[in-house]
Amino acid sequence: MTNLEQYQTAEALEKALGDPNIPESVMSFQKVMEIDETEAFPHEEIEWLYNWKLADYYTPTNCGGKFTNFEEFVAIVRVLCRRDQTTGIAFTTMFWSFLCWMAGTEEQKAKLSKFVREEHGAMCLGYSEKEHGSDLVNGDLTATKVPGGYLLNGEKWPINRATISGISFVLARTGEKGEAKGLSLFMVDKREIADSEYYNLPKIHTHGIRASDMSGIGFKNCFVPDSMLLLKEGDGLELGLKGFQITRTLCAAFSLGAVDTALRTTLNFASERVIYNKTVFDLPQPRRILVDAFLDILLCDCETIGAARGFSVIPQQFSVWASVVKYFVTTQIENTINNIYPVLGSRFYMRDEHDFGMFQKILRDNSIISMFDGSTVVNLHALMLQFRQLTKQRRRRQPETMKGIAERLEQIFSLANPVPAFDANKLELFGRGMDDPLHGLEVALKKLDELQQNAELNQEVLSKLINLGNIVLEELDAHDSEIANSKFEFGHDQSPELFEIAKKYCTLHASACCLHMWLYNRNSLGDFFAQGEWLVLSLHRLLRTIRPLPYTISEHYIENVAQELVKLHQENKSFSIVPIQLAEANTIKQEDNTNAELINV
Amino acid sequence: MPNSSMSNQTTVENWLKAQLAEQLSLEAEAIKATEPLTRYGLDSIDAVTMVGDIEDVLDEELPSTLFWDYPTIAKSAQFLVENYDVSALADAKDEPVEELEETVAAPVASAGKSKGWGGLFG
Ligand SMILES: Cc1cc2nc3c(=O)[nH]c(=O)nc-3n(C[C@H](O)[C@H](O)[C@H](O)COP(=O)(O)OP(=O)(O)OC[C@H]3O[C@@H](n4cnc5c(N)ncnc54)[C@H](O)[C@@H]3O)c2cc1C
Repeated sequence: MTNLEQYQTAEALEKALGDPNIPESVMSFQKVMEIDETEAFPHEEIEWLYNWKLADYYTPTNCGGKFTNFEEFVAIVRVLCRRDQTTGIAFTTMFWSFLCWMAGTEEQKAKLSKFVREEHGAMCLGYSEKEHGSDLVNGDLTATKVPGGYLLNGEKWPINRATISGISFVLARTGEKGEAKGLSLFMVDKREIADSEYYNLPKIHTHGIRASDMSGIGFKNCFVPDSMLLLKEGDGLELGLKGFQITRTLCAAFSLGAVDTALRTTLNFASERVIYNKTVFDLPQPRRILVDAFLDILLCDCETIGAARGFSVIPQQFSVWASVVKYFVTTQIENTINNIYPVLGSRFYMRDEHDFGMFQKILRDNSIISMFDGSTVVNLHALMLQFRQLTKQRRRRQPETMKGIAERLEQIFSLANPVPAFDANKLELFGRGMDDPLHGLEVALKKLDELQQNAELNQEVLSKLINLGNIVLEELDAHDSEIANSKFEFGHDQSPELFEIAKKYCTLHASACCLHMWLYNRNSLGDFFAQGEWLVLSLHRLLRTIRPLPYTISEHYIENVAQELVKLHQENKSFSIVPIQLAEANTIKQEDNTNAELINV
Repeated sequence: MPNSSMSNQTTVENWLKAQLAEQLSLEAEAIKATEPLTRYGLDSIDAVTMVGDIEDVLDEELPSTLFWDYPTIAKSAQFLVENYDVSALADAKDEPVEELEETVAAPVASAGKSKGWGGLFG
């Protein structure tokens, strides 16, 4: 068991759900595969989660729940999504409740809290329309003012849980098309509108998360009372964009949950399968692929856990940080899953062989994460718009600015210290050029320099870290001069090059988060973490995508990381910088084509 | 003084026009102060970003939804003139788009050392 308090709920949930390899467990692999094949909504599983009181962790303490910060939340969602992204996402549409926790009146909050915690209610987010995806301000669904409320007209599609939910957050146009203040957000309680005035659209058949309630909702002169409006008329876009800062960041947890199982099931195969008198894992190339996948998880952990905690310390910087996490973590993990499937060989493609055919399901399910809730291009675009200000602000830093950044970084990245409760009122539409993880890179480099006095540390590791850290700095300086010397234009015709520059910025951001995470937790996350070899390899892995570097930096480090990977696999712990104990140390030994046989280890 | 506030209004309007012209590749003369900014292709997120540009020149924190709440050049200029000291825009008017490289110093020296692999793989 981890001694970090914020991971204990996730561990308890793990234990309660039970080993997913055992068919009888809640959300077992066998069950979720059956659910996927039948495409029937996982009602029973969702009800089990409500009965476990999981909704409490989506509801802030001041609204009657147990939520205080996102670090715990991310760990919980990973536990769900390592079993099944369909159910994990279907339950987690509840994160849209933050729109109400952020902006609702006391009455609206009390009502929603009761709805989710006591009545096991669910919600959906209706932003997209058939003719308008990312282009929110041109939506066609309108809300026309009438005495006592509004009349809604139009359709939202494709919407997850549009049909099987009691509340729809609907973004409706109350002004002119294209006007930023022309949108308003309604928390529509279906129990309180006339059945004849709204309808649901048929299930959409999808490539992955097939058992989801992917559908839509339409309104025809549907009267909604004023009490269903969030904030004021015209505030919809601002609230919607701030809400996205939360949910986009949290999408990383969907990916990180799924990739644990993708890697674990591949390791199950690679460590058993004998080829040319060796296990697959003992062949150098597959071994390296799996080590790289493990590194991907560790480095995405640094970015994601950093962000989850950062929300409580620097919420005003999340127009930048949320875009980085949503783009970087979800696409990196997509690549990870694509990289490892050759190791699983032909079984990656089979729907019932090997661990119930989970791999092909993950491959399909996970590919939506980088697209919904703000796609890769939308996030990179949002980021690039802030480049000039980020560059200016970075150049303006004074010694006091650095002191402030250093203090905040310590608060954000020291996992042993609790972060303050999240305050959504401090979210901002743009970050005023601030980006503490990258703007505090010099703080990390200085700390690395100081560690050269520390006799306990492996100085070879340290000198590699210093060199790699300096590459990050050089690349960041180069980025800044590139931005300073280029002409910027508004609009949607941004150059393809700028998208590549934005991707590179995210890579540098992740590198900085890895450094900070290590520096502030060397003494609290165990020997493997403290050694720092994983960090050398992670930075090298990241920087190799933007600079020509040799393929291998140290065979020895790779071997040590491989050993840690095997250890976590054998001990049935999650692949993470904070490995939690997974449910029951039981494994299934499964022969292809034969019945599963339970073996206690 | 009505006169000075009138000229302030014009100064701010001209500054905004020049800014927009530059960043949307338009002719400043083609931009009308009374037309909604969206008409010129400035979308809602661009408009938020532009608030940052004015903050830089005025050295004041402004509402991030300024151009959403006051969606024409005339309206936003009036809001700025009525609520802030806009004299800095007058000084900046000849140089509408701030050149990053020239206007900002680099007080925190970059600790960058050798280029390249720096003995990392030796
Ligand atoms: C499984 C699933 C679940 C979903 N759940 C929900 C939900 O619960 N609620 C909801 O509201 N929506 C939901 N969506 C909708 C989803 O968020 C939209 O599909 C998404 O916003 C993209 O919209 P679009 O496909 O209409 O494409 P558009 O946004 O119209 O984009 C069309 C094309 O333009 C490109 N493009 C867009 N913006 C830019 C840019 N700035 N620069 C360059 N290129 C750009 C895109 O990459 C794409 O190629 C869901 C979708 C799926 C598949």
